[in-house]
Amino acid sequence: MKRLRRLALALFAALAGTSLHAADVAGVSAREIVVGHISDLSGPIAMLGTPVRDGMLMRFDEANAAGGVHGRRLRLAVEDAGYDPKRGVLAARKLVQRDKAFAFIATMGTPVVMATMPVVLEAGRLHLFPFSPHKATYEPLHPLKFQNFAPYQDYMEAATRHMVQAGGYRRTCLLYQDDDYGLEVMKGVETGLERLGQTLFERTGYKRGATDLSSQVARLRAAECDLVVLATVVRETVAAMAEARRIGWKVDMLVTASGYSAQTHELGGDAVEGLYGVSVLPHPYAEGANSQLADWIERYRARFGAAPNVWSVMGYSLADMFVRTAEATGRDLTPEAFARTLERLEFTRDYFGSPSYRFSADDHLGNRHGRLAQIRNGRWELITDYLR
Amino acid sequence: MSATPVAAPEGLRVLRAAFVWGLLLALAVGWLGADFAFSQATLVATYAIAGLGVVIIVGQAGQIVLGQGALVALGAYAQTLLVQAGVAPLLALPLAATVGALGGVLASLPAGRLGGLYFGMSTLAFALIVEEALVRWESLTHGAAGLMVPGFGLAGWQADTPLAQAAVSIVVLLIALALAARLLRSRLGRAWRAVREDEAAADACGIAPGAAKLRAFIVGGSLSALGGSLYAHWIGFISPEQFGLVFSFELLMLAFIGGARRLSGAVWGALVVVAIPQAIAVLRDTLPGDWARSAGLELVLFGAIIVAVVLLRPQGLASGPRSG
Repeated sequence: MKRLRRLALALFAALAGTSLHAADVAGVSAREIVVGHISDLSGPIAMLGTPVRDGMLMRFDEANAAGGVHGRRLRLAVEDAGYDPKRGVLAARKLVQRDKAFAFIATMGTPVVMATMPVVLEAGRLHLFPFSPHKATYEPLHPLKFQNFAPYQDYMEAATRHMVQAGGYRRTCLLYQDDDYGLEVMKGVETGLERLGQTLFERTGYKRGATDLSSQVARLRAAECDLVVLATVVRETVAAMAEARRIGWKVDMLVTASGYSAQTHELGGDAVEGLYGVSVLPHPYAEGANSQLADWIERYRARFGAAPNVWSVMGYSLADMFVRTAEATGRDLTPEAFARTLERLEFTRDYFGSPSYRFSADDHLGNRHGRLAQIRNGRWELITDYLR
Repeated sequence: MSATPVAAPEGLRVLRAAFVWGLLLALAVGWLGADFAFSQATLVATYAIAGLGVVIIVGQAGQIVLGQGALVALGAYAQTLLVQAGVAPLLALPLAATVGALGGVLASLPAGRLGGLYFGMSTLAFALIVEEALVRWESLTHGAAGLMVPGFGLAGWQADTPLAQAAVSIVVLLIALALAARLLRSRLGRAWRAVREDEAAADACGIAPGAAKLRAFIVGGSLSALGGSLYAHWIGFISPEQFGLVFSFELLMLAFIGGARRLSGAVWGALVVVAIPQAIAVLRDTLPGDWARSAGLELVLFGAIIVAVVLLRPQGLASGPRSG
């Protein structure tokens, strides 16, 4: 009888513990973990939003097919903020209150990230890997916020230094988008040149959305630049290269990871042949892919009916880091336990060719490095390892 | 002999409006949950204040304004810089509104020479100049990198919950509505309407159209800047790109959907622009299958609602149904 009572008590304690835990931790129930994602599916960076979301969905589907994380299914709750901070704040409130998201992953666009991060952190939820170059995404240190995108300033400093040293350039110039992105790149380029005893020879900006860069290119040519760093996105990268070639100027150009995209050579064709770029994650080309990558590309195609790009890999990798950290945290999943686990895990390089990501208790930025690539024969080819 | 409709007394209309909006808020709290609903109320009220500026300039004075976002930006930046400099947020609000009024004066200068769409284009140019200045004046505005905005507080109290933020926004909106309503009943309000209907006739009656337009821009600019001041606090981060042309067109759409001829049009318009996309997102979650999560569905539904509003209430939601 005593044994029976003890068993009943143990059972009750276990059940109470489960329900207490489920009630205590937002977004974590006995059967499900909800992860919030504020995307841009209809705004100026929508071309990134869809593949990032699809990459994450694919990884969560795989985890669910394998039995979930400690028996809990993963659900990605997606909201479209369209790069509008007002919609972002409301989406964050919805995900916190209605969907009870356990964590927010890969929020897209600096204004949206900056507007939603306080809402997320005040609610005690994890703020993971937002798409923003802003330092506030990892500094000052906060127990629940983590970033793994290499800052433009850091990797462009290393890339500029490497290019100038290897190529012997003397007149490095900059064409930059007139926003926080362009300014971050400018700081990196200036620091890299300063370390080599050089200064930025000429700089010229453009407003986001500009399609005609002829005056900017003419100005850089008049300055006789021998290396032009491009703080541009895909369309402007193609426009700058095409304009330079059109006027017969065969200058070397180096674009940031924002221009490192298959669309750059698809749109630019011969005009962008020879363009240098920085890669923080390689593009998944089917041709020449290793067997694991080829299998992944095939599964992505089958699931979404489209070829994956570097943003799909990004989404998949972020979701993979979430799954692996949640698994390593164990059954008692709380934001604090997840964060402490993330601080001690190391994500080594994988079949995508990604960098290794590592966080610590003092440093919540997982990666600072990029590698150089060049467009050769109509596709990006990696030409260095990750630059230190 | 035809019956003339008798307008309800002022007090009764105010009570009726308070009841309708109170009921809407209560329903939203019950349906969406308190924090989510109060956040929506905060932004609806804030956008309504900014939209009131458009209603005054477009709906009352009859001037086309395509760059109202710039006046909101002036308010947002003025408020942020003043608060960062140590001015109490409540005291900074009227100062930021004054900056918006000065911006309104500048934006209205071409009205002496240009009219109609040409003047509208000049306000568009004004918006571009303001945006460019905010980017270039880095020592003050931090340029494209943006500014972090301190929270709204008063004597040690911080409006850091959705309920507190909604309360502040609604109180400021009510004050703005009351002041605007008083202006519309005044000689100035009648002058605006006279200029709107026929500028030459107004001139012939002794109304100076230039002065009336200038005052519309002063009032409209200060109201939009007031909305911008609160917007800066609630969003917590401002950058020039947030106040671009899309924002200006959103405010214009707000005024026309709500009804530019009535002050309450700004509130109805803000409700549609801010809250309807969120309501669609919540309803979308109840739909089965993956297709409901496809990109752009909310935009399509939002567009359909706008078309329906324009067809059924061409004068805006605040006016009566289509009378033929």
